[in-house]
Amino acid sequence: MAGAAVERKVIRVLLVEDEEIHRVLARALLKAVGGVVLDEAGNGAEAVRRVREAGAYDLILTDRQMPVMDGHEATRQIRDLGVTTPIVGLSSDCLDSDIDAFIKAGADDFTPKPLSKEKLNRILAKYNIA
Amino acid sequence: MDYSNLRRQIISMKKSLFDQKRLLLRAKFLFTTKLIFFIFLPVLFLQGYLDEQFNQLEELQDDSSPNFVEEVVALFFKDSSRLLTNIEQALEKCPQDFYRLDSLVHQFKGSGSSIGALRMKNECSMFKAHCNERNLEGCRRSLQKMKREHATLKQKLETYFQVNSTL
Repeated sequence: MAGAAVERKVIRVLLVEDEEIHRVLARALLKAVGGVVLDEAGNGAEAVRRVREAGAYDLILTDRQMPVMDGHEATRQIRDLGVTTPIVGLSSDCLDSDIDAFIKAGADDFTPKPLSKEKLNRILAKYNIA
Repeated sequence: MDYSNLRRQIISMKKSLFDQKRLLLRAKFLFTTKLIFFIFLPVLFLQGYLDEQFNQLEELQDDSSPNFVEEVVALFFKDSSRLLTNIEQALEKCPQDFYRLDSLVHQFKGSGSSIGALRMKNECSMFKAHCNERNLEGCRRSLQKMKREHATLKQKLETYFQVNSTL
């Protein structure tokens, strides 16, 4: 229709990260994308609870090393719930063993930290999210 | 001769000269400060203290978060000081828990990479390699280097933000 405003889709992202500095950076990057509703979990167990309670996310970004429950186990449990949301593992190391462990757990992708504008845009484009 | 008028003119000229001198000094200070500012950061990149990630932080700074870079850097130095202490304590324990050491250094490395602390990140990788080999002396040497790099980068970035705040 002529003159109709295009409604921008809201993107729901779950960030699973225990360290504040990484959360601050991710928040700023996602804010720059625009239209993102961001939920945060400080460890894998909290992430699983949020997914169970909050319903569908468009993207889950999860750190590997966290207290209580790590990213690999959280990914496994989220997949066991039948959730098909793209899950991207994050870690400062990009050892093959880390990447393999994430993919075996059910993650769709892996990106080495630190998160950047380019890495985030690549992820959003790959899963047709933004 | 009208001495009082002459005296007034001399006083006025002196004041004017003094104001001009003050303006000139101020301009010189600002020019020097800006010059230092504009070469300071590129030098940190050239010397390998910082990498492209620092530019990412600067790009995220805007009117709604005007001190974003400084806040993130402050957060890093707060976390990293604590981590360095924990790493040092873990190294002194007997027997050493290399798994815990690796985990602590992993956090430190990740944190440093968030602000683009390249030299520190590289030294952390060396430390992790020593951990993997159960090389205690190697870990100790790496820790000393990490502490030096940490202190140097902190000093340089503090200077950078101080200069930035005067502009």
